[in-house]
Amino acid sequence: MRKSVTRGMGAGLAVVVGLALAACSGSGSAKAPGGGAVTGNGGYNGPKVEITFWHGWTGGAAPTLVPQMIDKFNAAHPNIVVKAVPQEWGDIASKLPLAIKAGKGPDVAVLHGDDLATYAAQGLLLKADDIVHTLGYSASSFPPGVFDKGNYKGAQYAVPWSVTPLGLYVNKTVAAKGGVNDVPTDKASYEAALKSLKSAGVQGEWVDGYVFTGTFEFESLLWQFGGDLYNKDVSQATFNSPAGVQALTWMKSLIDNGYSPANVAQDGNIKALLAGQTAFNWNGVWQTTNSAFKGLDWTAAAVPQIGTQKAVWSSSTHWVFPANKGQDPNKTAAAATFVKWMNDNSAGWAQTGELPAANTVRNDPSLVATYPNLKAFIAELDYAHYETVSPGINEANALITTAINEALTGKATPQAALDEAKQKADQILQQNRSKYGA
Amino acid sequence: MAYLFLAPFLALFATFVLAPAAYGLWISVTDWSPFRDVQHFVGLRNYADLFTAGSPFHDDFWQSMGATGVFVLASVPFLVVVPLLVAVLLNQRIRGGTVFRTIFFAPYVLGVAVVGVVWGYVLDTQSGILNHLAHAVGIRADIPWTVDTPWVWVALVGVTLWWTSGLNTVIFLAGLKGINTELYEAAALDGAGAVRSFFAVTLPGLRPVMLFITTTTVLASANMFGQSYLLTKGGPGNATRTAIMYIADQGLSQNNMAPAAAMSYVLFAFLAVVSLINFRLQRERLEKGRVR
Repeated sequence: MRKSVTRGMGAGLAVVVGLALAACSGSGSAKAPGGGAVTGNGGYNGPKVEITFWHGWTGGAAPTLVPQMIDKFNAAHPNIVVKAVPQEWGDIASKLPLAIKAGKGPDVAVLHGDDLATYAAQGLLLKADDIVHTLGYSASSFPPGVFDKGNYKGAQYAVPWSVTPLGLYVNKTVAAKGGVNDVPTDKASYEAALKSLKSAGVQGEWVDGYVFTGTFEFESLLWQFGGDLYNKDVSQATFNSPAGVQALTWMKSLIDNGYSPANVAQDGNIKALLAGQTAFNWNGVWQTTNSAFKGLDWTAAAVPQIGTQKAVWSSSTHWVFPANKGQDPNKTAAAATFVKWMNDNSAGWAQTGELPAANTVRNDPSLVATYPNLKAFIAELDYAHYETVSPGINEANALITTAINEALTGKATPQAALDEAKQKADQILQQNRSKYGA
Repeated sequence: MAYLFLAPFLALFATFVLAPAAYGLWISVTDWSPFRDVQHFVGLRNYADLFTAGSPFHDDFWQSMGATGVFVLASVPFLVVVPLLVAVLLNQRIRGGTVFRTIFFAPYVLGVAVVGVVWGYVLDTQSGILNHLAHAVGIRADIPWTVDTPWVWVALVGVTLWWTSGLNTVIFLAGLKGINTELYEAAALDGAGAVRSFFAVTLPGLRPVMLFITTTTVLASANMFGQSYLLTKGGPGNATRTAIMYIADQGLSQNNMAPAAAMSYVLFAFLAVVSLINFRLQRERLEKGRVR
């Protein structure tokens, strides 16, 4: 429900502006006639420009951190002025497509990984292959699998900015009540921990049937059991595979075995962890900044391996260069410089509870030294799975949550719930193909 | 001259109600897609699809209409009767009547987002205050107010009652003030008690107000969106996904504007019929009442 109305079609436009841009930045530091250029090291030597930047970081540490970073950037770049326009993510979703078509969109923006293809399919984003190449980025500059999320139909549209994997949060005081002093890492140790917690009168993990966080847990488990959400060309849903059924059955078994209460309301599980009622919660890295953890004896670890292989859900955010009607190539070049500088200086971003995507920054030992809680999440990135690249995919994803909800409330068996969701998801995928011409 | 005074309102009404409604009607007979520049006329196909089992929207749409129907039937009686009784009580000469009136009306000024968050805490299965109280008086402590049927309906009706009944109360109160006190005196002289004069004087005196309230309340309940969107997420499964929720999802997030527009008009037709029946029934009584 967070996507919004969009109208018209801006194809072709992207190609035209993209070509203009390529002319500017194609060969590393070449200067196009009358236009500026990004140089190989991410510098900008064109005329002075003011660029606008839309982002949805309105909560937590971001509202103070982002202006600081931008002031620093502006001070260091006399011929670029970045003007940030923060607004709710939902507002961006409803305004950005229309603004780009009207030529009033920003010169650079940050989007979530699952939205990239939807924008790209509508021709709302510039192809950024040349920018990416000039800035010296490749898949190996980022955690495995993230860079490709900006790739749609053979073109690169985005530069990764941050990743947010799921992890296992442990209330150590509660865990100790059940004699659990080591953080479980696999099925055997996790179930043993839940069992001994149960005998101590504690329901160890509260399972919920909502996006936060039942859906993320289900997807992690699905991948752990060797399954996937969709087939390779995203023409069919595959989350009702035996792996998916195993994943959901295991989640339901936590309730049936009394390790979890039934009918947990949304966010009931993290509340219970913070209130000392439960020991474990599968939640996103963003919870590390939750101030309610102050005073608790807690830790965050990698999610346990319940299935046959290691896997975990993660989301990602990316920089994009909107294909505004009449986009000034100089502004896009300046935006590329801004993106590179932000990524190079993203170490502080960790304080917002997101992991910087740039390997050079994230793997710097000083990052973990400053933010020790992030260590387990960073280690998970070797086997993390990210969003599905397909226009309109969120509408199909919504059905997964409905299926989990039905199975966990006992309205349907895991198999029946997932089968029904798959059938509806396939219909939506088919609709999306004709809708977006994908 | 009258039209001159009406003009400002008419201009707004035409711009923000008539024009979008007409545009929606047009969309509903096309294969409208935001990703194409040209839209094609398809006649009544979108409507026919809604009445054809097996079409992509048929099952979900009628399921959501059913959920809307359940909510209307469950909520309207409470949303009419409770405010009426509260208004009658407030109409007595009691100390602090104005204070109570303000208190009862207060929740109505809250936005649905606030209502959703506050009640989300209160109704939480395991840590909600309500279940805590239920446990304290010996009822089960884990009622899934926002998670499972039938409790979700109880919660949605209860929250809606708490949130919106203040408006109906104030309207009833205004109606009560309009009833001639001499009628009560006459009834008292004839030996009518409180109950008798309520049915013989108050209710007949409130008929025009009652017609207004039942009509607007039915419409408001049929347009319920925020409560289930925020409190139950439409769950369990899709059990509390109302028609408005489904239409908004199809039209605004899935970009299926044409079928969504058709659904809006089907919902509109249903509500128009219900309102007409309601009008007809109550008007007849109203006229009979006058003749007597």
